[in-house]
Amino acid sequence: MRIVRSGALTLAAVLALSACGGGEGDDGSGGEGSGSGSGDAVSEGAEIRLWLNGGDTSDELRTWLVETFEEQNPGSTLVIEEQDWNGLVPRLQTALTSESQTPDVVEIGNTQAAAFTYAGAFADVTDLYEEVGGEDLLQGFVEAGSVDGTVYALPYYSGARAVFYRKDLLEAAGLEVPTTLDEFTETAIALQEANPSGTPAFSGFWFPGQDWYNGTAWIYTYGGELAVQDGDQWTGALSSPESQEALAEVQRLFTEATSAPRDADSNEPWVPFNNGEAAMFSAPTWARWSIDLPECNKGVDPEDTSDEATALRAEQQACNEERTGIFPLPGPTAGEVATVFAGGSNIAIPAKSQNQELAAELIRLIFSEEYQTMLAEGGLIPGNSTYTSAMGDDAYSQAAIAAALDAKLTPPAEKWADVEGARILEDFFQKVASGADLVTTAAETDRLIADTLS
Amino acid sequence: MSALPAGRAATPAPPPFSPAPATGRRRRRPALGAHLLLVPATVGILVGLGYPLARQLVLSFQEYGLAQQFGRPAEWVGLDNYTTLLSDPYVWAVIGRSIAFCLVNALLTMAIGMALAVLMARVGRAARMTLQVSMLLAWGTPVLATMTVWQWLFDSQYGVVNWLLAEPLGMEGMRYHSWLIEPLSFYAVATVVVVWMSVPFVVFTVYAGLLQVPAETMEAAQLDGANAWQRFRLVTVPMVKPVLFVVLLLQVIWDLRVFTQIYVLQRAGAPTRETHLLGTYIYSLAKEFSMAGAMATIMLVLTLALTAFYIRRMLRQEEDL
Repeated sequence: MRIVRSGALTLAAVLALSACGGGEGDDGSGGEGSGSGSGDAVSEGAEIRLWLNGGDTSDELRTWLVETFEEQNPGSTLVIEEQDWNGLVPRLQTALTSESQTPDVVEIGNTQAAAFTYAGAFADVTDLYEEVGGEDLLQGFVEAGSVDGTVYALPYYSGARAVFYRKDLLEAAGLEVPTTLDEFTETAIALQEANPSGTPAFSGFWFPGQDWYNGTAWIYTYGGELAVQDGDQWTGALSSPESQEALAEVQRLFTEATSAPRDADSNEPWVPFNNGEAAMFSAPTWARWSIDLPECNKGVDPEDTSDEATALRAEQQACNEERTGIFPLPGPTAGEVATVFAGGSNIAIPAKSQNQELAAELIRLIFSEEYQTMLAEGGLIPGNSTYTSAMGDDAYSQAAIAAALDAKLTPPAEKWADVEGARILEDFFQKVASGADLVTTAAETDRLIADTLS
Repeated sequence: MSALPAGRAATPAPPPFSPAPATGRRRRRPALGAHLLLVPATVGILVGLGYPLARQLVLSFQEYGLAQQFGRPAEWVGLDNYTTLLSDPYVWAVIGRSIAFCLVNALLTMAIGMALAVLMARVGRAARMTLQVSMLLAWGTPVLATMTVWQWLFDSQYGVVNWLLAEPLGMEGMRYHSWLIEPLSFYAVATVVVVWMSVPFVVFTVYAGLLQVPAETMEAAQLDGANAWQRFRLVTVPMVKPVLFVVLLLQVIWDLRVFTQIYVLQRAGAPTRETHLLGTYIYSLAKEFSMAGAMATIMLVLTLALTAFYIRRMLRQEEDL
């Protein structure tokens, strides 16, 4: 048995070692040698790297950025590296601390920015702030990127949520587009009961249990807050009378107006919508490109670029948009718009970047009229609000602009990103959706938020 | 860890010149060359394991967060991080859950794995090949890919499991059942996934062990009138015991530090705070590096405590050889 024994021991040792090494999940694979230098040409040409997250910045925008940058800065090149929104914060934590690994310009979610601005991760761009738009920049985002009056991160774009609905289903149930927030709830409940499309598990309003983005809209509209500052202490504010009133309404929607699973989050709400399982959903307005109703689908390959395919796709899109309507979530009284949650991102120059000058050039380019206009045309609210008009005047843009004007960010607490990282609000709204007692759940969550923010 | 300097010091002064008779030299002193051969491994361990471990320990006595990483000086806080953690009942709940989860999973994996290994040793060639290939596939598929599949299987709206329960089996109530929303049911799903992934390793290792059991011994036992169960319990198991111990030890370590499966399932809709195990909890502390360091150290101590018995036993056996 000697062989078995000592073999087993060796195996154990090897595996135990590899076991220890496995969990580190090193993300630092982005270490493309920035030293593209052929020899020691003294030209100040360098390669600078821009991190953009997710697919919100279209390919067209990226190409324009790369080409224009290289044209204006001969000898330098711009490399755009796409990062996933998931796990972005830990990736930045490692990349931004290293002179050799750091990108030169980064996009960062507006709710994540504070953690890095307070830590000193970004270069001071107060001088640039005036130059690229000053007061015209989206002020909520400027605030999210500033510490004590010094600007570290500038607004990149914003997107607000609006409600998409199936015109035919509303009509079949004999309902009108709601004009107040109470009416919205009534409409959603009536739709749920009528179930005009006849599918099992039909939702009047698609409202999954972990969807805190939409739940927050009610809290904000009723005058509540997620967290408030008292002196230099932050505490959760879900127990306030305003928040409680809003949450009661939210709970009513969860129980009477939706069949969405309590364990789902706000991702891809258009899937049940396309399946005829939901009559309404609320999402950023660029969700229009994901609506794909079966009765409109022409079965075109999205990769096919022939004229015929393009025409069919246009027809398909027109058909989808004919059946789909959109409105900004209404406010407490008719004619008002609800205060919804504003999503979006900031853009900043890492303090450790070795190409501060070129990075500033890139920022100027991003805030150029041409680029801002292109952002707006793509359906995003550009960082400089002067160019919002370029979003066009169709129903989508109108709804987007109306919703965005009153939209509100998450509390500007230094550690807010930790609250999101710990998924406290996902857990909270899931409990609300499960019918938990609002007072005790809110008190418990307020305590967790206070602990995390302090 | 200081194999190198100690080794040098131990290199004996040249022995007094006496041509020792060949028979007198039972133990040959390792030559300098042998010590040199240890250098790469030692350096590897020191850099790969020693440095992170030392750093983790140092961090756990400091206040070290994002700001410190960008250059603010770190403050020494002594045992503050540890007392904060250990006085929090939530931390104890996580520790308790992790140990329970680890033991249930390790034992379940061992039982199923051993049963399959015995089966593999008994069945014919074709069946064995089928078993081996399917085991290898389960073992070899990347974790995240399998997790995506499991997530779809248990999806509350479009999942196959709910469909199966509702359609062919007629349990309409399960149609939109959410498997992940209750912690116990969440851990049940996680157990299925973790066990499914770890069983192949146990099967192959135990199977290899079983092949080492001499056929003559078994035959002799049979002649002495031992039935199949007795032969398994009294002959086979004692002979492959070292293998079983090692495999169990590894399972305990792995299941205590399980991360990926739990993390992915949490994102699939579970209440995060109520389903944390040690691995995911430490990760959730990670922006406060010092706290995460302290928690990781507590987990290390816990792992050592859980496995001390096995390790001592294994070392003793090694000495007995």
